[in-house]
Amino acid sequence: MTHQPPPQEYARKQTGPLSEAAFTLLVQGVLDYGIFMLDPQGYVISWNAGAERIKGYSAAEILGRHFSVFYPTEDKEAGKPQWELETAVADGRLEDEGWRLRADGSRFWANVVITALWGENGELRGFGKVTRDMSERRAAQHALSERRRLFDHLVQAQETERRRIAWDVHDDSIQAMVAVGMRLELLAERVPESCAAELERLEASVRGAINRLRNLTFRLNPPGIDRHGLIEGLSNHLDDVVGAWGLTRSFEHRLDKEPTPETAITVFRIVQEALLNVRKHAHATAVTLRVESADGGILTRVIDDGTGAPMSRDVVHEHFGIIEMRERAETAGGWWSMRSEPGTGTTVEFWVPSPEPTPPLTDDLP
Amino acid sequence: MTARPSGDSTGSPWRVILCDDNPMLLEALCEVVTAQPDLEVVGTALNADQAIALARRHEPDLVVLDVRFPGGGHFVAKEIARCSPDSRVVAFSAYGDKGSVDEMRNAGVAEYVLKGATNREFLAALRRVASP
Repeated sequence: MTHQPPPQEYARKQTGPLSEAAFTLLVQGVLDYGIFMLDPQGYVISWNAGAERIKGYSAAEILGRHFSVFYPTEDKEAGKPQWELETAVADGRLEDEGWRLRADGSRFWANVVITALWGENGELRGFGKVTRDMSERRAAQHALSERRRLFDHLVQAQETERRRIAWDVHDDSIQAMVAVGMRLELLAERVPESCAAELERLEASVRGAINRLRNLTFRLNPPGIDRHGLIEGLSNHLDDVVGAWGLTRSFEHRLDKEPTPETAITVFRIVQEALLNVRKHAHATAVTLRVESADGGILTRVIDDGTGAPMSRDVVHEHFGIIEMRERAETAGGWWSMRSEPGTGTTVEFWVPSPEPTPPLTDDLP
Repeated sequence: MTARPSGDSTGSPWRVILCDDNPMLLEALCEVVTAQPDLEVVGTALNADQAIALARRHEPDLVVLDVRFPGGGHFVAKEIARCSPDSRVVAFSAYGDKGSVDEMRNAGVAEYVLKGATNREFLAALRRVASP
Protein backbone atom coordinates (compact mmCIF):
# COMPACT_ATOMS: atom_id res chain seq x y z
CA MET A 1 0.00 0.00 0.00
CA THR A 2 1.36 3.41 -0.84
CA HIS A 3 0.97 6.50 1.23
CA GLN A 4 -0.79 9.37 -0.51
CA PRO A 5 -0.27 12.79 1.01
CA PRO A 6 -3.48 14.73 1.65
CA PRO A 7 -4.24 17.12 -1.24
CA GLN A 8 -3.69 20.20 0.90
CA GLU A 9 -0.24 19.15 2.06
CA TYR A 10 0.75 18.25 -1.50
CA ALA A 11 -0.30 21.66 -2.79
CA ARG A 12 1.62 23.41 -0.07
CA LYS A 13 4.78 21.47 -0.90
CA GLN A 14 4.53 22.38 -4.52
CA THR A 15 3.86 26.06 -4.25
CA GLY A 16 5.39 27.16 -0.95
CA PRO A 17 8.32 29.45 -1.72
CA LEU A 18 11.55 28.93 0.22
CA SER A 19 11.84 31.88 2.52
CA GLU A 20 15.16 33.67 2.74
CA ALA A 21 15.47 32.48 6.30
CA ALA A 22 14.90 28.87 5.26
CA PHE A 23 17.43 29.20 2.46
CA THR A 24 19.96 30.63 4.90
CA LEU A 25 19.27 27.69 7.22
CA LEU A 26 19.86 25.28 4.34
CA VAL A 27 23.19 26.85 3.40
CA GLN A 28 24.25 27.19 7.02
CA GLY A 29 23.45 23.58 7.78
CA VAL A 30 25.15 21.89 4.83
CA LEU A 31 28.06 19.88 6.22
CA ASP A 32 29.66 18.39 3.12
CA TYR A 33 30.38 21.68 1.40
CA GLY A 34 32.04 24.77 2.73
CA ILE A 35 29.78 27.54 1.39
CA PHE A 36 30.66 31.12 2.22
CA MET A 37 30.88 34.61 0.79
CA LEU A 38 33.73 37.00 0.23
CA ASP A 39 33.42 40.73 -0.21
CA PRO A 40 34.84 42.24 -3.42
CA GLN A 41 38.29 42.50 -1.79
CA GLY A 42 38.31 38.85 -0.68
CA TYR A 43 37.39 39.20 3.00
CA VAL A 44 35.16 36.48 4.46
CA ILE A 45 31.66 37.81 5.16
CA SER A 46 29.67 34.61 5.71
CA TRP A 47 30.43 31.09 6.93
CA ASN A 48 28.57 27.82 7.18
CA ALA A 49 28.81 24.56 9.13
CA GLY A 50 30.48 22.75 6.26
CA ALA A 51 33.19 25.39 6.03
CA GLU A 52 33.78 25.10 9.76
CA ARG A 53 33.97 21.30 9.51
CA ILE A 54 36.33 21.33 6.52
CA LYS A 55 38.56 24.25 7.41
CA GLY A 56 38.41 24.16 11.19
CA TYR A 57 37.59 27.85 11.77
CA SER A 58 34.49 28.90 13.67
CA ALA A 59 32.53 31.79 12.15
CA ALA A 60 33.77 34.09 14.88
CA GLU A 61 37.38 33.26 14.08
CA ILE A 62 37.21 33.73 10.35
CA LEU A 63 34.67 36.46 9.59
CA GLY A 64 36.48 39.60 8.51
CA ARG A 65 39.72 37.82 7.64
CA HIS A 66 41.12 37.69 4.10
CA PHE A 67 40.51 34.40 2.30
CA SER A 68 44.20 34.08 1.35
CA VAL A 69 44.63 32.58 4.82
CA PHE A 70 43.31 29.31 3.33
CA TYR A 71 46.18 29.09 0.83
CA PRO A 72 49.63 27.56 1.42
CA THR A 73 52.55 29.99 1.55
CA GLU A 74 53.83 29.08 -1.93
CA ASP A 75 50.43 29.87 -3.45
CA LYS A 76 50.19 33.14 -1.55
CA GLU A 77 53.66 34.15 -2.73
CA ALA A 78 52.68 33.31 -6.30
CA GLY A 79 49.65 35.59 -5.97
CA LYS A 80 47.21 32.76 -6.52
CA PRO A 81 44.34 34.04 -4.28
CA GLN A 82 44.19 37.40 -6.04
CA TRP A 83 44.58 35.76 -9.46
CA GLU A 84 41.66 33.44 -8.70
CA LEU A 85 39.40 36.35 -7.81
CA GLU A 86 40.42 38.22 -10.95
CA THR A 87 39.73 35.16 -13.06
CA ALA A 88 36.30 34.73 -11.44
CA VAL A 89 35.53 38.37 -12.24
CA ALA A 90 36.74 38.00 -15.84
CA ASP A 91 35.15 34.61 -16.57
CA GLY A 92 32.23 34.62 -14.16
CA ARG A 93 33.56 31.63 -12.21
CA LEU A 94 36.72 29.73 -11.43
CA GLU A 95 37.20 26.09 -10.50
CA ASP A 96 40.42 24.80 -9.00
CA GLU A 97 41.78 21.72 -7.27
CA GLY A 98 44.72 22.03 -4.98
CA TRP A 99 46.11 22.13 -1.47
CA ARG A 100 44.44 24.37 1.08
CA LEU A 101 45.19 24.97 4.76
CA ARG A 102 43.01 24.18 7.76
CA ALA A 103 42.98 26.42 10.84
CA ASP A 104 45.60 24.19 12.50
CA GLY A 105 47.95 24.57 9.51
CA SER A 106 47.41 21.05 8.18
CA ARG A 107 46.69 20.60 4.47
CA PHE A 108 43.74 19.10 2.67
CA TRP A 109 43.09 18.57 -1.03
CA ALA A 110 40.27 20.87 -2.04
CA ASN A 111 37.96 21.37 -4.94
CA VAL A 112 37.09 25.05 -5.01
CA VAL A 113 34.56 26.99 -7.06
CA ILE A 114 34.57 30.78 -6.87
CA THR A 115 31.66 32.60 -8.46
CA ALA A 116 31.57 36.37 -8.95
CA LEU A 117 28.33 37.87 -7.63
CA TRP A 118 26.95 40.97 -9.36
CA GLY A 119 24.43 43.51 -8.13
CA GLU A 120 21.42 44.67 -10.12
CA ASN A 121 23.40 47.62 -11.50
CA GLY A 122 26.28 45.45 -12.58
CA GLU A 123 28.53 46.27 -9.65
CA LEU A 124 30.65 43.51 -8.10
CA ARG A 125 29.04 42.55 -4.81
CA GLY A 126 31.51 39.87 -3.82
CA PHE A 127 32.15 36.18 -4.39
CA GLY A 128 30.44 32.94 -3.55
CA LYS A 129 32.90 30.23 -2.65
CA VAL A 130 32.14 26.53 -2.45
CA THR A 131 34.85 24.23 -1.12
CA ARG A 132 34.87 20.43 -0.97
CA ASP A 133 37.40 18.28 0.84
CA MET A 134 38.65 15.80 -1.76
CA SER A 135 41.46 14.35 0.37
CA GLU A 136 39.88 10.92 0.72
CA ARG A 137 39.14 10.60 -2.95
CA ARG A 138 42.62 11.76 -3.80
CA ALA A 139 44.11 9.23 -1.37
CA ALA A 140 42.00 6.49 -2.95
CA GLN A 141 43.20 7.48 -6.41
CA HIS A 142 46.77 7.49 -5.16
CA ALA A 143 46.33 4.04 -3.62
CA LEU A 144 44.95 2.80 -6.94
CA SER A 145 47.76 4.24 -8.97
CA GLU A 146 50.31 2.96 -6.45
CA ARG A 147 48.75 -0.50 -6.76
CA ARG A 148 49.00 -0.17 -10.53
CA ARG A 149 52.65 0.78 -10.30
CA LEU A 150 53.34 -2.25 -8.12
CA PHE A 151 51.44 -4.46 -10.54
CA ASP A 152 53.42 -3.13 -13.50
CA HIS A 153 56.62 -3.70 -11.58
CA LEU A 154 55.58 -7.24 -10.68
CA VAL A 155 54.75 -8.09 -14.30
CA GLN A 156 58.01 -6.65 -15.57
CA ALA A 157 60.04 -8.42 -12.88
CA GLN A 158 58.41 -11.72 -13.72
CA GLU A 159 58.98 -11.25 -17.44
CA THR A 160 62.61 -10.27 -16.91
CA GLU A 161 63.18 -13.39 -14.84
CA ARG A 162 61.46 -15.62 -17.40
CA ARG A 163 63.49 -14.07 -20.21
CA ARG A 164 66.69 -14.66 -18.27
CA ILE A 165 65.84 -18.32 -17.68
CA ALA A 166 64.84 -18.73 -21.34
CA TRP A 167 68.14 -17.26 -22.50
CA ASP A 168 70.12 -19.42 -20.10
CA VAL A 169 68.37 -22.54 -21.36
CA HIS A 170 68.82 -21.42 -24.96
CA ASP A 171 72.42 -20.29 -24.73
CA ASP A 172 73.71 -23.17 -22.66
CA SER A 173 71.54 -26.27 -22.24
CA ILE A 174 70.11 -26.40 -25.76
CA GLN A 175 73.43 -25.69 -27.47
CA ALA A 176 75.21 -28.33 -25.40
CA MET A 177 72.55 -30.93 -26.16
CA VAL A 178 72.56 -30.09 -29.87
CA ALA A 179 76.31 -30.70 -29.84
CA VAL A 180 75.81 -34.00 -28.01
CA GLY A 181 73.13 -35.08 -30.51
CA MET A 182 75.38 -34.28 -33.47
CA ARG A 183 78.26 -36.21 -32.01
CA LEU A 184 76.08 -39.20 -31.16
CA GLU A 185 74.85 -39.30 -34.75
CA LEU A 186 78.42 -39.08 -36.03
CA LEU A 187 79.46 -41.82 -33.65
CA ALA A 188 76.58 -44.05 -34.73
CA GLU A 189 77.98 -43.95 -38.27
CA ARG A 190 81.40 -45.08 -37.12
CA VAL A 191 80.61 -47.97 -34.76
CA PRO A 192 79.52 -51.52 -35.57
CA GLU A 193 75.83 -51.87 -36.38
CA SER A 194 75.10 -53.62 -33.10
CA CYS A 195 76.11 -50.53 -31.15
CA ALA A 196 74.71 -48.08 -33.70
CA ALA A 197 71.09 -48.93 -32.92
CA GLU A 198 71.63 -48.14 -29.25
CA LEU A 199 73.38 -44.86 -30.11
CA GLU A 200 70.54 -43.89 -32.41
CA ARG A 201 68.03 -44.47 -29.62
CA LEU A 202 70.17 -42.31 -27.37
CA GLU A 203 70.41 -39.65 -30.01
CA ALA A 204 66.64 -39.70 -30.56
CA SER A 205 66.03 -39.12 -26.89
CA VAL A 206 68.49 -36.21 -26.91
CA ARG A 207 66.61 -34.66 -29.83
CA GLY A 208 63.34 -35.15 -27.99
CA ALA A 209 64.80 -33.32 -25.01
CA ILE A 210 66.05 -30.51 -27.29
CA ASN A 211 62.54 -30.06 -28.65
CA ARG A 212 61.06 -29.94 -25.19
CA LEU A 213 63.64 -27.40 -24.06
CA ARG A 214 62.98 -25.32 -27.13
CA ASN A 215 59.26 -25.33 -26.35
CA LEU A 216 60.09 -24.34 -22.79
CA THR A 217 62.12 -21.32 -23.87
CA PHE A 218 59.35 -20.41 -26.28
CA ARG A 219 56.74 -20.57 -23.54
CA LEU A 220 58.92 -18.63 -21.11
CA ASN A 221 59.80 -15.90 -23.57
CA PRO A 222 57.43 -15.86 -26.52
CA PRO A 223 59.19 -13.97 -29.30
CA GLY A 224 57.61 -10.74 -30.38
CA ILE A 225 55.31 -10.10 -27.41
CA ASP A 226 57.32 -7.11 -26.24
CA ARG A 227 58.21 -5.80 -29.69
CA HIS A 228 55.13 -5.89 -31.86
CA GLY A 229 52.20 -5.18 -29.56
CA LEU A 230 49.42 -7.39 -28.25
CA ILE A 231 47.53 -8.24 -31.43
CA GLU A 232 50.56 -9.20 -33.46
CA GLY A 233 52.03 -11.08 -30.49
CA LEU A 234 48.82 -13.12 -30.12
CA SER A 235 48.52 -13.63 -33.85
CA ASN A 236 52.08 -14.93 -34.10
CA HIS A 237 51.51 -17.15 -31.08
CA LEU A 238 48.42 -18.67 -32.71
CA ASP A 239 50.34 -19.26 -35.94
CA ASP A 240 53.50 -20.60 -34.36
CA VAL A 241 52.06 -22.66 -31.54
CA VAL A 242 48.40 -23.50 -32.12
CA GLY A 243 49.05 -24.07 -35.82
CA ALA A 244 51.74 -26.57 -34.89
CA TRP A 245 49.22 -28.45 -32.71
CA GLY A 246 47.04 -29.01 -35.76
CA LEU A 247 44.09 -26.98 -34.42
CA THR A 248 41.99 -24.77 -36.67
CA ARG A 249 42.17 -21.26 -35.26
CA SER A 250 40.41 -17.98 -35.74
CA PHE A 251 41.28 -14.64 -34.24
CA GLU A 252 38.86 -11.73 -33.97
CA HIS A 253 40.05 -8.48 -32.48
CA ARG A 254 38.82 -4.95 -31.99
CA LEU A 255 41.02 -2.80 -29.77
CA ASP A 256 40.53 0.95 -29.43
CA LYS A 257 44.12 1.47 -28.36
CA GLU A 258 47.29 -0.47 -27.73
CA PRO A 259 47.47 -1.40 -24.03
CA THR A 260 50.50 -0.76 -21.84
CA PRO A 261 53.18 -3.47 -22.11
CA GLU A 262 52.14 -4.79 -18.68
CA THR A 263 48.50 -5.14 -19.67
CA ALA A 264 49.51 -6.73 -22.99
CA ILE A 265 51.71 -9.25 -21.21
CA THR A 266 48.91 -10.07 -18.76
CA VAL A 267 46.43 -10.76 -21.57
CA PHE A 268 49.02 -12.70 -23.54
CA ARG A 269 50.01 -14.91 -20.61
CA ILE A 270 46.43 -15.79 -19.72
CA VAL A 271 45.63 -16.61 -23.36
CA GLN A 272 48.80 -18.69 -23.55
CA GLU A 273 47.75 -20.74 -20.51
CA ALA A 274 44.15 -21.07 -21.76
CA LEU A 275 45.40 -22.36 -25.12
CA LEU A 276 47.70 -24.81 -23.37
CA ASN A 277 44.66 -26.04 -21.49
CA VAL A 278 42.77 -26.50 -24.76
CA ARG A 279 45.59 -28.52 -26.21
CA LYS A 280 46.02 -30.74 -23.17
CA HIS A 281 42.48 -31.47 -22.16
CA ALA A 282 39.79 -30.27 -24.51
CA HIS A 283 40.18 -32.74 -27.40
CA ALA A 284 39.20 -29.82 -29.60
CA THR A 285 39.61 -29.37 -33.33
CA ALA A 286 39.16 -25.59 -33.40
CA VAL A 287 39.81 -22.66 -31.15
CA THR A 288 38.56 -19.08 -31.42
CA LEU A 289 40.26 -16.13 -29.78
CA ARG A 290 38.35 -12.88 -29.37
CA VAL A 291 39.96 -9.72 -28.00
CA GLU A 292 38.02 -6.46 -27.73
CA SER A 293 37.97 -3.19 -25.86
CA ALA A 294 35.19 -3.09 -23.26
CA ASP A 295 34.42 -0.99 -20.18
CA GLY A 296 37.79 0.74 -20.14
CA GLY A 297 39.61 -2.57 -20.40
CA ILE A 298 40.16 -5.59 -22.58
CA LEU A 299 37.68 -8.46 -22.75
CA THR A 300 39.16 -11.69 -24.03
CA ARG A 301 37.55 -15.04 -24.83
CA VAL A 302 39.22 -18.32 -25.70
CA ILE A 303 36.56 -20.65 -27.07
CA ASP A 304 37.14 -24.26 -28.07
CA ASP A 305 34.86 -26.86 -29.64
CA GLY A 306 36.15 -29.70 -27.48
CA THR A 307 34.48 -32.12 -25.12
CA GLY A 308 33.65 -29.40 -22.66
CA ALA A 309 35.16 -31.46 -19.89
CA PRO A 310 38.70 -30.20 -19.63
CA MET A 311 39.48 -32.14 -16.48
CA SER A 312 42.61 -34.18 -16.62
CA ARG A 313 44.26 -36.80 -14.55
CA ASP A 314 46.96 -34.23 -13.95
CA VAL A 315 44.74 -32.42 -11.49
CA VAL A 316 47.58 -30.65 -9.72
CA HIS A 317 49.01 -29.04 -12.83
CA GLU A 318 45.63 -28.14 -14.24
CA HIS A 319 44.61 -26.58 -11.00
CA PHE A 320 47.84 -24.62 -11.01
CA GLY A 321 47.16 -23.33 -14.52
CA ILE A 322 43.68 -22.19 -13.57
CA ILE A 323 44.90 -20.51 -10.41
CA GLU A 324 47.60 -18.75 -12.40
CA MET A 325 45.13 -17.43 -14.98
CA ARG A 326 42.71 -16.24 -12.34
CA GLU A 327 45.42 -14.65 -10.21
CA ARG A 328 46.89 -12.80 -13.16
CA ALA A 329 43.53 -11.32 -14.10
CA GLU A 330 42.62 -10.43 -10.53
CA THR A 331 46.01 -8.94 -9.70
CA ALA A 332 45.56 -6.69 -12.72
CA GLY A 333 42.26 -5.55 -11.21
CA GLY A 334 40.07 -7.65 -13.51
CA TRP A 335 38.14 -10.92 -13.42
CA TRP A 336 38.41 -14.40 -14.93
CA SER A 337 35.92 -17.20 -15.52
CA MET A 338 35.70 -20.55 -17.25
CA ARG A 339 32.46 -22.05 -18.58
CA SER A 340 32.42 -25.63 -19.59
CA GLU A 341 29.53 -27.80 -20.73
CA PRO A 342 29.83 -31.35 -22.02
CA GLY A 343 29.46 -31.42 -25.77
CA THR A 344 29.72 -27.70 -26.39
CA GLY A 345 33.31 -26.97 -25.53
CA THR A 346 34.89 -24.63 -23.04
CA THR A 347 35.08 -20.86 -22.91
CA VAL A 348 37.68 -19.03 -20.90
CA GLU A 349 36.66 -15.43 -20.50
CA PHE A 350 38.45 -12.63 -18.70
CA TRP A 351 38.57 -8.87 -18.47
CA VAL A 352 41.47 -6.70 -17.36
CA PRO A 353 41.49 -2.91 -17.09
CA SER A 354 43.54 -1.09 -19.69
CA PRO A 355 44.76 2.02 -17.90
CA GLU A 356 46.92 4.76 -19.29
CA PRO A 357 50.61 4.39 -18.48
CA THR A 358 51.19 5.26 -14.80
CA PRO A 359 52.62 8.76 -14.39
CA PRO A 360 55.99 9.18 -12.75
CA LEU A 361 56.00 9.70 -8.98
CA THR A 362 55.32 13.28 -7.92
CA ASP A 363 56.59 15.10 -4.88
CA ASP A 364 53.17 16.27 -3.72
CA LEU A 365 52.82 16.66 -0.03
CA PRO A 366 50.38 14.34 1.71
CA MET B 1 75.01 -41.15 -44.66
CA THR B 2 75.12 -40.51 -48.38
CA ALA B 3 77.72 -37.99 -49.40
CA ARG B 4 78.29 -36.78 -52.88
CA PRO B 5 81.79 -37.57 -54.02
CA SER B 6 82.48 -34.00 -55.07
CA GLY B 7 81.33 -30.45 -54.45
CA ASP B 8 81.11 -27.81 -57.13
CA SER B 9 81.28 -28.25 -60.93
CA THR B 10 85.07 -28.35 -60.93
CA GLY B 11 84.99 -31.29 -58.56
CA SER B 12 86.35 -29.34 -55.58
CA PRO B 13 84.42 -29.55 -52.32
CA TRP B 14 82.04 -26.73 -51.35
CA ARG B 15 83.87 -24.32 -49.10
CA VAL B 16 82.01 -23.66 -45.84
CA ILE B 17 82.29 -21.15 -42.99
CA LEU B 18 80.62 -22.08 -39.68
CA CYS B 19 79.44 -19.35 -37.30
CA ASP B 20 78.18 -20.05 -33.78
CA ASP B 21 79.05 -18.43 -30.48
CA ASN B 22 78.93 -21.70 -28.58
CA PRO B 23 82.41 -23.29 -28.89
CA MET B 24 81.18 -26.78 -28.03
CA LEU B 25 78.52 -26.64 -30.72
CA LEU B 26 80.88 -25.06 -33.21
CA GLU B 27 83.32 -27.90 -32.70
CA ALA B 28 80.64 -30.56 -33.21
CA LEU B 29 79.37 -28.75 -36.33
CA CYS B 30 82.91 -28.65 -37.63
CA GLU B 31 83.33 -32.39 -37.15
CA VAL B 32 80.04 -33.17 -38.88
CA VAL B 33 80.85 -31.00 -41.90
CA THR B 34 84.50 -32.03 -42.09
CA ALA B 35 83.44 -35.69 -42.29
CA GLN B 36 81.76 -34.96 -45.64
CA PRO B 37 84.01 -35.36 -48.69
CA ASP B 38 82.02 -32.81 -50.69
CA LEU B 39 82.27 -30.12 -47.99
CA GLU B 40 85.32 -28.31 -46.68
CA VAL B 41 85.39 -26.09 -43.59
CA VAL B 42 87.53 -23.05 -44.44
CA GLY B 43 86.88 -21.17 -41.23
CA THR B 44 84.89 -20.96 -37.99
CA ALA B 45 83.67 -17.79 -36.29
CA LEU B 46 82.48 -17.11 -32.75
CA ASN B 47 81.29 -13.56 -33.39
CA ALA B 48 80.15 -11.14 -36.08
CA ASP B 49 83.55 -9.54 -36.74
CA GLN B 50 85.21 -12.91 -37.28
CA ALA B 51 82.37 -14.10 -39.50
CA ILE B 52 82.45 -11.04 -41.74
CA ALA B 53 86.26 -11.05 -41.97
CA LEU B 54 86.26 -14.75 -42.93
CA ALA B 55 83.53 -14.26 -45.53
CA ARG B 56 85.42 -11.34 -47.07
CA ARG B 57 88.67 -13.31 -47.18
CA HIS B 58 87.40 -16.69 -48.41
CA GLU B 59 84.20 -15.79 -50.26
CA PRO B 60 82.91 -19.26 -49.34
CA ASP B 61 80.18 -21.20 -51.12
CA LEU B 62 78.27 -21.69 -47.88
CA VAL B 63 77.94 -19.96 -44.53
CA VAL B 64 76.21 -21.67 -41.59
CA LEU B 65 75.02 -18.87 -39.33
CA ASP B 66 73.54 -18.98 -35.83
CA VAL B 67 70.47 -16.74 -35.59
CA ARG B 68 71.06 -15.52 -32.05
CA PHE B 69 74.63 -14.69 -32.94
CA PRO B 70 76.55 -11.93 -31.12
CA GLY B 71 76.10 -8.88 -33.30
CA GLY B 72 72.78 -10.21 -34.64
CA GLY B 73 72.36 -13.08 -37.11
CA HIS B 74 70.34 -11.02 -39.59
CA PHE B 75 72.90 -8.21 -39.49
CA VAL B 76 75.75 -10.62 -40.19
CA ALA B 77 73.76 -12.24 -43.02
CA LYS B 78 73.31 -8.84 -44.67
CA GLU B 79 76.99 -7.96 -44.28
CA ILE B 80 78.03 -11.28 -45.81
CA ALA B 81 75.65 -10.70 -48.74
CA ARG B 82 77.46 -7.41 -49.28
CA CYS B 83 81.08 -8.51 -48.98
CA SER B 84 80.65 -11.95 -50.53
CA PRO B 85 77.55 -11.86 -52.75
CA ASP B 86 77.95 -15.40 -54.08
CA SER B 87 78.00 -16.98 -50.62
CA ARG B 88 74.78 -18.72 -49.63
CA VAL B 89 73.76 -18.52 -46.00
CA VAL B 90 72.02 -21.27 -44.03
CA ALA B 91 70.53 -20.07 -40.76
CA PHE B 92 70.91 -22.50 -37.87
CA SER B 93 68.74 -21.73 -34.88
CA ALA B 94 67.01 -23.03 -31.79
CA TYR B 95 64.17 -20.60 -32.52
CA GLY B 96 61.70 -21.53 -35.22
CA ASP B 97 59.13 -18.78 -34.73
CA LYS B 98 57.79 -16.86 -37.69
CA GLY B 99 59.41 -13.58 -36.60
CA SER B 100 62.91 -15.07 -36.46
CA VAL B 101 62.48 -16.96 -39.74
CA ASP B 102 61.09 -13.89 -41.54
CA GLU B 103 63.89 -11.70 -40.21
CA MET B 104 66.55 -14.06 -41.54
CA ARG B 105 64.76 -14.60 -44.86
CA ASN B 106 64.59 -10.83 -45.30
CA ALA B 107 68.32 -10.69 -44.71
CA GLY B 108 68.78 -13.00 -47.69
CA VAL B 109 69.19 -16.34 -45.94
CA ALA B 110 68.56 -19.28 -48.28
CA GLU B 111 67.60 -21.98 -45.75
CA TYR B 112 66.55 -22.06 -42.13
CA VAL B 113 67.47 -25.20 -40.17
CA LEU B 114 66.30 -25.78 -36.62
CA LYS B 115 68.87 -26.87 -34.08
CA GLY B 116 67.77 -30.35 -33.15
CA ALA B 117 67.45 -31.46 -36.78
CA THR B 118 69.44 -34.60 -37.56
CA ASN B 119 72.87 -34.27 -39.16
CA ARG B 120 71.36 -35.83 -42.25
CA GLU B 121 68.69 -33.10 -42.48
CA PHE B 122 71.25 -30.40 -41.77
CA LEU B 123 73.65 -31.64 -44.47
CA ALA B 124 70.83 -32.08 -46.95
CA ALA B 125 69.94 -28.40 -46.44
CA LEU B 126 73.57 -27.38 -47.08
CA ARG B 127 73.65 -29.37 -50.32
CA ARG B 128 70.29 -28.02 -51.48
CA VAL B 129 71.58 -24.51 -51.03
CA ALA B 130 74.99 -25.18 -52.57
CA SER B 131 73.55 -26.52 -55.80
CA PRO B 132 70.04 -25.12 -56.17
